[in-house]
Amino acid sequence: MAKLTRRRLLCATAPFAAAPLGVKLALGGEAEAARHDHAAHRTAASHRGSVASGHAAMIGEGAPAVGGPNDLDALLHPPKPLAHRPGRAREYTLVARDVELEIAPGVFFPAWTYNGTVPGPVIRATEDDLLRVRFVNAGAHPHTIHFHGIHPTNMDGVFEIVGPGQELTYEFPARPAGFHVYHCHATPLKQHIHPGLYGAFIVDPKEAREPARELVMVMNGYDTDGDGENNFYTVNGRTFYYARYPIRARKGELVRIYLANLTEFDLVNSFHLHADFFRYQPTGTGEHWEYTDTVMQCQGQRGVLELRFAHAGTFMFHAHQSEFTELGWMGYFQVEE
Amino acid sequence: MEAGTAAGELGWRLWALVPIVLLALAVAVVVSQGDRVVDLVGGAPPPADELDVRRVELRHGEIRALVRNPQREDVTIASVTVDDAIVPFTLDGPATLDRLRSTTVVVPYDWVQDEPLAIGVTTSTGIETTHEIAAAVLTPQPGARGFVGYGLIGLLVGVVPVALGLLWLPSLRRAGAAWLAAFMALTAGLLTFLGVEALFEALELQAGLPPSLGGPGLVLLGLAASALGMTFLSVRLTKGRVGASGLALALLVAIGIGVHNLGEGLAIGTSFATGELQLGAFLVIGFMIHNVTEGLGIAAPATRARVTLVQLAALALIAGAPAILGTWIGGYATNDVLTPLFFALAAGAALQVVVEVGRYVARTAPGGLRSGWAVGGYLAGIAAMWATGLLVG
Repeated sequence: MAKLTRRRLLCATAPFAAAPLGVKLALGGEAEAARHDHAAHRTAASHRGSVASGHAAMIGEGAPAVGGPNDLDALLHPPKPLAHRPGRAREYTLVARDVELEIAPGVFFPAWTYNGTVPGPVIRATEDDLLRVRFVNAGAHPHTIHFHGIHPTNMDGVFEIVGPGQELTYEFPARPAGFHVYHCHATPLKQHIHPGLYGAFIVDPKEAREPARELVMVMNGYDTDGDGENNFYTVNGRTFYYARYPIRARKGELVRIYLANLTEFDLVNSFHLHADFFRYQPTGTGEHWEYTDTVMQCQGQRGVLELRFAHAGTFMFHAHQSEFTELGWMGYFQVEE
Repeated sequence: MEAGTAAGELGWRLWALVPIVLLALAVAVVVSQGDRVVDLVGGAPPPADELDVRRVELRHGEIRALVRNPQREDVTIASVTVDDAIVPFTLDGPATLDRLRSTTVVVPYDWVQDEPLAIGVTTSTGIETTHEIAAAVLTPQPGARGFVGYGLIGLLVGVVPVALGLLWLPSLRRAGAAWLAAFMALTAGLLTFLGVEALFEALELQAGLPPSLGGPGLVLLGLAASALGMTFLSVRLTKGRVGASGLALALLVAIGIGVHNLGEGLAIGTSFATGELQLGAFLVIGFMIHNVTEGLGIAAPATRARVTLVQLAALALIAGAPAILGTWIGGYATNDVLTPLFFALAAGAALQVVVEVGRYVARTAPGGLRSGWAVGGYLAGIAAMWATGLLVG
């Protein structure tokens, strides 16, 4: 009897079985049928294949990064080091410009930049060079350049505010040897640093470092919706850029990375290398080297990493804060034999 | 003279078109020059670029979020995150959405059962809209099994308790006039409760909609439409006499309750399908006890009428079956606009029937509306609904 009732119930409901779909089509505006036709890859982040997922899918074409393979070369590869010659002038021009940058596929960020990129250009000098940086403010707000290092306080970029349309030349001897940073020091600080007014500043020691494949990595974040929390994290300004275009190196050669953190809003950022170890010299100064595969830096901290890859292959590197990694701060070294 | 007057009449009627024509002209001028007018008083702020997440479906290894552009300016979807991680996605529609246009974001994702989930959709200007799911559960897909399941839930919370409540009819028939008046007032009390509850629900739900889709006006529309519709029905049922009674009044009460149960079913179905509600046996029992009172409300006006068993069954279905329909729609369809509208309809219907029942009590109760029986019954009705409502809160 129970069985009969159940069967009768099913028979009775059968004509209505199609009803919810009908309602869905009418109300949702998203036709189930059309869904199958358009299920193709209409996406900013194309897939590598149906099998790959997670980070396996986040390499090469699958990585959601903006631009071509050589777009960030000027930021990744520093100028060549010069031999020690006290008093030699090293001249740079930095122009503050407000530009809209595509930082992740389809995501545009109203950046404040030095020379149109975030981070700004790599400035390099040898210890005791006379550094001469002409700063032109073509932006809409007053800015400065504050260099980390040893210099007269009137060259410190704190009190001499450069208004829109004005310019100022910073001039001081480059010292101490190490790896430093520069950034705008107009207030409010967060408002001036976070949109992109920062960059890497290398001071080579009197005794040149061993020749190496040299790379610069500036870690940063972008708060795109103004809630005081970063929505995207990168090295050198674009999410997943080195996942899309892995950095090439050769097994056994010396690789030197100048690593700096200019992430606003978060207390620290970090760098972790997979499948190998490196030695780390905080601030690029002194005799103390740490042997590790993970380093942590607060905002403004920086250091020099050196390693020789023991194997060929694809080596992942990323922030060892999972959230930062998955919001864009991840890449690969492609190491050849 | 006659002809002159007629021509004059026609002229004045045609005059009614003049404001419309002038308005069209004024609109055309503002459309072509509007920005200059606005510029006189300063620049407009940038668009908010927030999206409206209408529904999130969780399937095996996949998240599907239906999002809508609630603002006047176009919005372009650029990036999608799940739990603060950028994920690959596809769009089932255009990436750039015009006003009120929707698209489905499809993310291949291995989500974890029963854990909270936050889906973020970022526009080209970097603004992120985050939708949080309290506990991830598989979204039911249309299928015979789930269909029957939702139907059974609707049956249990709608038809069964109403039918049980109607079984009080024989007892009510033996009650004296004063007691009967008290029970009628109780009906009015519980309908007032349902009306207020539905109105509150409707206002709360409309507040979650983009302003361009209604606002409180949507609720007022539903309220007025159903109240006037019920009045019209009442006049029809009583063939023009003032005040319904007997079976006609019972039918009105049943309809009022039925519209309410439709909204209730919708809310249950939606909440369950989107993982916001744990539809345990306890909640089903709660709704059953809550709704038994509704059956009593329908039985009371039918006490002095001759009612057949078929008519009683019909009343139970009218009042209870909409809950089944509601759970189906709620379970399977996107109904963010429909649900507040249904609750507004429910509020209008219930409150109109309160008026009908009030008139009836005023006519028939010994001592009229101000008698202790009427006042006590009315308050008891509200109290009963509130007390049993604790079971589903």
